[in-house]
Amino acid sequence: MDFSFTEEQDMLRILARDFLAKECPKAKVREMAKDERGYDPQMWHSMAELGWMGLIFPEEYSGMRASFMDLVILMEEMGRNILPGPFFSTIALCALPLLEYGRSEQKTKFLPQIAKGEAIWTFALAESSGRYKASEVKLHALLEGTNYVLKGHKLFVTDAHVADYILVVGRNGEGKSPEKGITLFIVDAKGPNVKMEAIPTIGGDRQFKVSFDRAEVPKDNILGEIGNGWDIVDFILQRAAVLKCAEISGACQAVLDMTSSYAKERIQFDRPIGSFQAVQHKLADMLIDVEAVQYLLYQAAWGISVGSPSPWQISTAKAKANEAYQRICIEAIAAHGAIGYTMDHDIGLYYRRVKAAEFAAGDIDLHREMIAIGLGL
Amino acid sequence: MDFRLGEKELALKEEIRKFAEAELPPDLVRSTVIDGEFRDFEFEISMSKKLAQRGWLVMSWPEKYGGRGASLLEQTIYEMEIAYWGIPGAWMGISGIQWIGPCLMLFGTEEQREKYLPLIASGEKDGIWCTGYSEPNAGSDFANIRTRAVRDGDDYIINGQKVWTSAAHRARWCWLAARTASNAAKKHQGISIFIVDMKSPGVTVNPILNYYGRHHFNEVFFDNVRVPASNLVGEENKGWYYLMQSLAFERRSIAPTTYGILKWILEELASYAGQTEYEGQSLSQNPVVRAKLADLAIDLEVLKMFAFQLAWRISQGQIPVYESSRNKIMGDDLMKRGAITGAEILGIYSQIDPDSEWAKLNGAIQGAYLGFPGQAIAAGTAEIEKSIIAQFRLGLPKSY
Repeated sequence: MDFSFTEEQDMLRILARDFLAKECPKAKVREMAKDERGYDPQMWHSMAELGWMGLIFPEEYSGMRASFMDLVILMEEMGRNILPGPFFSTIALCALPLLEYGRSEQKTKFLPQIAKGEAIWTFALAESSGRYKASEVKLHALLEGTNYVLKGHKLFVTDAHVADYILVVGRNGEGKSPEKGITLFIVDAKGPNVKMEAIPTIGGDRQFKVSFDRAEVPKDNILGEIGNGWDIVDFILQRAAVLKCAEISGACQAVLDMTSSYAKERIQFDRPIGSFQAVQHKLADMLIDVEAVQYLLYQAAWGISVGSPSPWQISTAKAKANEAYQRICIEAIAAHGAIGYTMDHDIGLYYRRVKAAEFAAGDIDLHREMIAIGLGL
Repeated sequence: MDFRLGEKELALKEEIRKFAEAELPPDLVRSTVIDGEFRDFEFEISMSKKLAQRGWLVMSWPEKYGGRGASLLEQTIYEMEIAYWGIPGAWMGISGIQWIGPCLMLFGTEEQREKYLPLIASGEKDGIWCTGYSEPNAGSDFANIRTRAVRDGDDYIINGQKVWTSAAHRARWCWLAARTASNAAKKHQGISIFIVDMKSPGVTVNPILNYYGRHHFNEVFFDNVRVPASNLVGEENKGWYYLMQSLAFERRSIAPTTYGILKWILEELASYAGQTEYEGQSLSQNPVVRAKLADLAIDLEVLKMFAFQLAWRISQGQIPVYESSRNKIMGDDLMKRGAITGAEILGIYSQIDPDSEWAKLNGAIQGAYLGFPGQAIAAGTAEIEKSIIAQFRLGLPKSY
């Protein structure tokens, strides 16, 4: 057993932390929340130059051949800093399944574009119920000649407005179970008959309703096999759950650090409020939550890194992260007092992003249910 | 990072499973949390000897003291499995193995090590210890102890009173904290540690029953008890440092043990829910039951990782600063939640005496329910542990 990071991993973390501190201060986070695109193309380009987009791709696709654990470390730092933009949508939700399930010519075409920062992707799964269940996939795809024709809509599609491609989960038939007859389509996001409508959220991120009104997809633009797409959805949700945990883990650490510093500086009754046990014990509880998230994250990420992903480890990690992130933010605001409730203070930036993080790749109920199944219930 | 268990650890798990199946009666009452080690003393000590014969009892100690030099990771796995199977007799008075032995290895003389460690390792009654820390005026404010040790020629003479002394009625030896300097600048600076033979004249042990009527702890009086100066541990007046180390050892073992107990409880609750019909469906189909058990499972996974992380850190030669406190808080909180959730799932059956044949899950839920408030106080309350984290991990000002 080994709980340490390699020297290269420590370097990666420091590099990412320094870059983001310089390029993405909180003023930039605030600016991007109001920005039309929601991200800074200049910064996006620099990130690509650092090799972040292609971090875990093989060299043949312009990648750095790093491990999944390395990506986790990078994304912890992104979460710590609240990096705005489509990195999660592009890499966690789309590049990973492309790498795993894409045909050779698909990988050759798409992955180098992503690695170079030239293409943005996103993933469209949820429909009206907002649940990630196969039975909720209603958008249908009919084969007409050499094209599939998509009809239906998707909700809560992140960064769709800047995406070049959308990986769309559609139903091309009915099978014995709801999981059968589902296919993943690579759809040109700027193509005709693809319409977007912004769904305003409390987090300052970008989410959309995307409607497909007879959008045509060439037969070649299918990821994996026709009708067997749900396995890929499972793959995506598992990896994305862990990578979202990584962002949450970094965010939780940032909130704890911020609150701990404040407790040392803020004087009331002639002494720092951090000398009061009521405040100390709140912070101690936060620390335990932060470390709980970290170790469950590292356990789940390690499983994926060595090629034996464990649904149990993934679900315990995401369930814990969802719950802890919310609690840590709420306690942190309480510890700050009124200043924590203001627009000017950074703590609100984290709190407002709790819900978006929670519903990315599975809320606590979904993961609890996975765990209940794992318990044999 | 690497979270794999090695072949050694996997083999050990398997050996312990076989041992438990061969040695334990199937109806073994699972109320260890309230009873500590003393439910059926003769049976327990017979199990201690068997564990010793297997080389498990003090496995992480060096061979010359009766151990087999196992890693702390193996030790952690062993503690988890012992607790999971409910094997009694593993703690020899709940202090010799977990903290007195390890402290003697760090701070004792070679003569002390050679005398006391093999006794503990043997699993014999003469290897049972108790720990004399708390006093009527020294609970969380531990440095406030008044029991005094005064040098008299080659001896120290000890006078005073200890309380909540677990296992004093079974122990052959006491690991005693006493004041040796009354004029020290700070009250924690005048404390020393002594090894006291509980058969010495002037030692009186009175039982204190816990609220469930079980005899686990005691009050102990020391009336002019003579202790040879060679029984002083380490240096005079440096006892506080040894005490803090002993508490860190004690708090470390709580996470693996609690993990084992609760893992068994969780699995049994899942199987109980599957076998229990309510309103035409199995209880395991009930969404509330599913959510409650899943929530328990999530934090049990956290406890496991905390236990391994601490064992790993110590095995790297690092001195843990706050992790033992973190693990104790997590373990105690989870024991509480396990007991309460378990009782909710058993429903009206949760009130049955753990020894009754009516009891479900061999009385484990009632054992946990009655036991958790006591366990949560021993070795430091949650409030003390959180203050330790705040001060030593987060760098906040001292608050007491």
